[in-house]
Amino acid sequence: MPSWPDFQPFIVSGLALGGVYALSGVGMVVLYQATGVVYLAFGAVGAMGALIAWSLINAGAPGWAGWLVCVVFSALVTLGYGMLFGPLLAKRDPLVKAAATLGLLLVLFGVMDLLWTTSGGESRAITLPTDNSGFGVAQVQVNWTQVIGLGLGIAIAVVTAVFLRYTKLGTAMRAMANDREITATLGVPVRRVEAAAWLGCGVLAGVAGILLADMVALDATTLTFLVIYTLAAALIARLRSIAFTFVAAIVIGLVQNLLTPISSVGNYNDMTPFVLAAVALLAFSRRSVVSRSREEA
Amino acid sequence: MAGTAVADASTRQRSPRRGRPATPTVTRAVVIAALFLFVLLALPQLMTLYYVDTMTQVAVYAMVALGLGVLVGRVGLVSLGQVAVLAIGAWVAARLLFATSQPFPLVLLEAGLITMAAGTLLGLPALRLRGLYLALITLMFAGAIAIVLDTTNFPNGGHGFLGYNGSLVHIPPIRRPGIAASDPAYFRYSVVVAALLFLLAFVHIRTRPGRAWAAIRQSEPAAMAAGINTTFYKLWAFALASFITGVAGGVYAGAVHYLYSLDFPAQDSIILFAVVLMGGAYSLWGAIVAALLLEFLPALLQNWGVSADWLTILFGIGVVLTLTTAPAGMADQVPKDLARLGRLLRRLATSGGGAR
Amino acid sequence: MRMREHTLSARAAGALVAVIGMLAAAGCGSSSTSGSPPGSKPSTTAVSTSQCGTKAGVAATGTPIPLGVIVTNQPGTSFTDISNMANAYFACVNANGGIKGHPIKYYIETEQTNPAQIAAEAKQLVQSDHVVGIVGNTSIIECSIDSSYWQKLGYDIIDSGIAPECWSTPNSAAVNMGPRYSSDGAVQYALSQHVNKIVFDQSNVPGTGYIAAGPSALAAHAHVAITQLTENVPISDADSVAIKEVDDAGPDGAVVLNFTPPEALVILQAAQKLGIEDRVKLWGCSTPCNTDFLAQSLGPKWNSKLFVNAELTPPDVTSTPTMKLYEAILKQYGKAVSGGIGSFSQMGFTEAEIAVHALETITGPYTVASVNAAFKAVTNFNTGMLCQLWSYGSYSMHIPNNEDYTVTPDNGKMVTAQGCNAISSVDPQIAQYRALAGMAKTVQ
Repeated sequence: MPSWPDFQPFIVSGLALGGVYALSGVGMVVLYQATGVVYLAFGAVGAMGALIAWSLINAGAPGWAGWLVCVVFSALVTLGYGMLFGPLLAKRDPLVKAAATLGLLLVLFGVMDLLWTTSGGESRAITLPTDNSGFGVAQVQVNWTQVIGLGLGIAIAVVTAVFLRYTKLGTAMRAMANDREITATLGVPVRRVEAAAWLGCGVLAGVAGILLADMVALDATTLTFLVIYTLAAALIARLRSIAFTFVAAIVIGLVQNLLTPISSVGNYNDMTPFVLAAVALLAFSRRSVVSRSREEA
Repeated sequence: MAGTAVADASTRQRSPRRGRPATPTVTRAVVIAALFLFVLLALPQLMTLYYVDTMTQVAVYAMVALGLGVLVGRVGLVSLGQVAVLAIGAWVAARLLFATSQPFPLVLLEAGLITMAAGTLLGLPALRLRGLYLALITLMFAGAIAIVLDTTNFPNGGHGFLGYNGSLVHIPPIRRPGIAASDPAYFRYSVVVAALLFLLAFVHIRTRPGRAWAAIRQSEPAAMAAGINTTFYKLWAFALASFITGVAGGVYAGAVHYLYSLDFPAQDSIILFAVVLMGGAYSLWGAIVAALLLEFLPALLQNWGVSADWLTILFGIGVVLTLTTAPAGMADQVPKDLARLGRLLRRLATSGGGAR
Repeated sequence: MRMREHTLSARAAGALVAVIGMLAAAGCGSSSTSGSPPGSKPSTTAVSTSQCGTKAGVAATGTPIPLGVIVTNQPGTSFTDISNMANAYFACVNANGGIKGHPIKYYIETEQTNPAQIAAEAKQLVQSDHVVGIVGNTSIIECSIDSSYWQKLGYDIIDSGIAPECWSTPNSAAVNMGPRYSSDGAVQYALSQHVNKIVFDQSNVPGTGYIAAGPSALAAHAHVAITQLTENVPISDADSVAIKEVDDAGPDGAVVLNFTPPEALVILQAAQKLGIEDRVKLWGCSTPCNTDFLAQSLGPKWNSKLFVNAELTPPDVTSTPTMKLYEAILKQYGKAVSGGIGSFSQMGFTEAEIAVHALETITGPYTVASVNAAFKAVTNFNTGMLCQLWSYGSYSMHIPNNEDYTVTPDNGKMVTAQGCNAISSVDPQIAQYRALAGMAKTVQ
């Protein structure tokens, strides 16, 4: 069994990983709260934005220009998808809406592999200026990018929670996610509110895309399917509480990393998000009560 | 759309086949039988081995799609973990085929039963959840199983419970039944197995479980009020789906001879769900359409030199378009579209022939 | 309502495709310029590509000689540069006399590590395309799946192997060393620097046990402790991987990696960001790390810190006629080769070169029997791309490339750190091959 000093660096890396999960988990729950859609393409759209930024930076553009293009691209694609297909699928099951975002994920994934090929052994990386400075904790270096990632997760959680609860636009979003028809009959401009929700989520996906490309990897497959792990955090919070998603993500990251130095666990620690999500969901779920499906959605 | 009652804007799947007669007519039975005989006897002669191998995969995934279709279309339960169930079935079959010399059909049966037990065990706690949460928890199970398989790997003739020997330089192939060693023969074998499982599903749907499932899908409170043990019937659906998928896993193991954990990633379960929706979750034909989309279409495009990336893009567009324009899936939509086309052509023919 | 939905969704699809198309156009330009690694300029004395063939400028017009290849092409793992470069070589030969006037027709099949697909594609090549030889196979699992099929039909493959069966069967001979022997090379270099611990970490793809056996044998012989690790890929948590490796290796230890370039990059970058890259004596990597892309992405902190095993002769230090021919063919016929000058295209060139050399010795008709007999008869051929002369032969297993270079990053390029060095016969498979091939036993 490893000793306490052996565990310490893993607390640091665990918080960093938790920050990664939190950033995209919070983003996905935000969109779910606002539109009722589990945006499976969240990672893919950010990944493509990051790759576009990489291409621009590699061609000589300044860093900030690349990141801006990434955010704009993610916002536009998300907005475009939301405005075209949101209304068409509004009455369908949340699973059908999620499956449709899978279509967007596949399109982006195919395009990314066509344009940014790996057939010659290419390995790409995004570096941010905050990567190289940091401070030492528990025998390892924490860089400012990781702090920003974690901080941004907290900020997004707080700001959107406040926004959704206390502003008119936010309340309209929550109403629409619950029942689009009734909200429309109450005179809320649903198309505009929807547009705002999708646009906001797109911006989040773009920002998360750049940070995750820096903190995790600039690789289409890794970033696209990271959503499966972040869904675990969102699921623990039952897709309802943004703050709880954040906390769940941190816990998952910590547990997963703290298991790493225990050699008997081996690679099973990669299961942590799934096991925790399953356990939490089953433990916290009510006794089998028959309820109208709308309440779960 | 404003005219539609608000109560209709629920998250339940609706049955689009309400007006059609439920009992199959004699002509339909004859057509199905003829098609089956054609596929079984003539098709392998007409195709190159490339397509024979491909169609064997279509048979396997038709069974998997059938299992998922029963859950989604009949009962309204979504499982995003069916590829993991397929992996379990393949694992059990491979272990038994290496460790014992039991006849192949017996191994398939055992794989199906053990997978059924595993699926029911996992389904039991999951049934406390509904809708999106049920789907997502099955995805979590699938992710966990995928990682377990990454570490335990598939049996490859080694000893011990796991039957995996990592340092082999020559991996022995998983055996096939004696009568179906060649690829065309194995294709026929898988078609027969698939037909039997489709029959099993059909019998379920037409008898008491099917009626109970329809009631549950329509309205679970009403079903409970009518005295139907909803938990029991939902578990039965999980059991049936797991059994079918487990047998499919066994057939898959014999088809490919070599199993790898990287062939069963968690994301494939989501893609399978999307394809079943595209094919049509409400009819048994939908399962066959789904399997053709998943296995035949890529093989065809590969042969035509279309890069796999273009196929991914095409699939993505197809998923979104089908879900928005053909809610009941292609198996339901295409006949409707063809019928509409037929009426249009008839109208054009008669209007063109008439004096104007 | 349905009509409206139809047109709306059709327009939607059109818009989506248009947006993607515009971005594709934007992305295309920038990705191609970043494709060619800087620093590896073509040599100054130009060489005519017509040297690849026997009759300069004469296009081959006879009956084609069909050859086939199966390569992995999936996001994150794509070997199409190898088949595309071989295709470029064949195009050059076809434009310059062909094989006694016959052009080579190269059927390329790509796969996504799907066993059923791979088996089907082998049958496609044989039954429908009627190929007489298989040249250039590069796949994570193809050798395992198709080996008995090729053996049954009498095909002797010239490949760039990965799976264990590529090295342990009579009908596969590779131009590369593959993950096990390349990892051996990296571990051997680390041992030569007198480290007291080896941590060997590899990606958890099929064959890890087979691969690990080589480094284990080498470390045991040198009485150095070794820890064997695997990581599920793609890696989403590189920080913990780096910390785990460094902790285990210790200040006088070495961490040796066997991953694809993107995965190796994230581990190394994580170590750098955590500030722990100097906490071990050195880092090692098998051949996949040998790309200038990696050297550029890593930066100067890794100069002479990371030592990469190179299975093929580094292009930047060699200016032999063959290397110049390679660069010239790449420039003229290799538009589809995205990685430019690098080990992937070198492998494709070498495999095609060997195949053409063998085909030119055939006097009668080009059949499965004659072509594969010619492949097996290749003996002591100087490819100009390897440390050794390359031979096929009728042995029960083949590891014809068993000497390597070691390279290290130097401000954005990979440069030679050690010249041709034989992989130690302490690895039992290497010893077995050397005994079969009548080569000297070299224990290091």
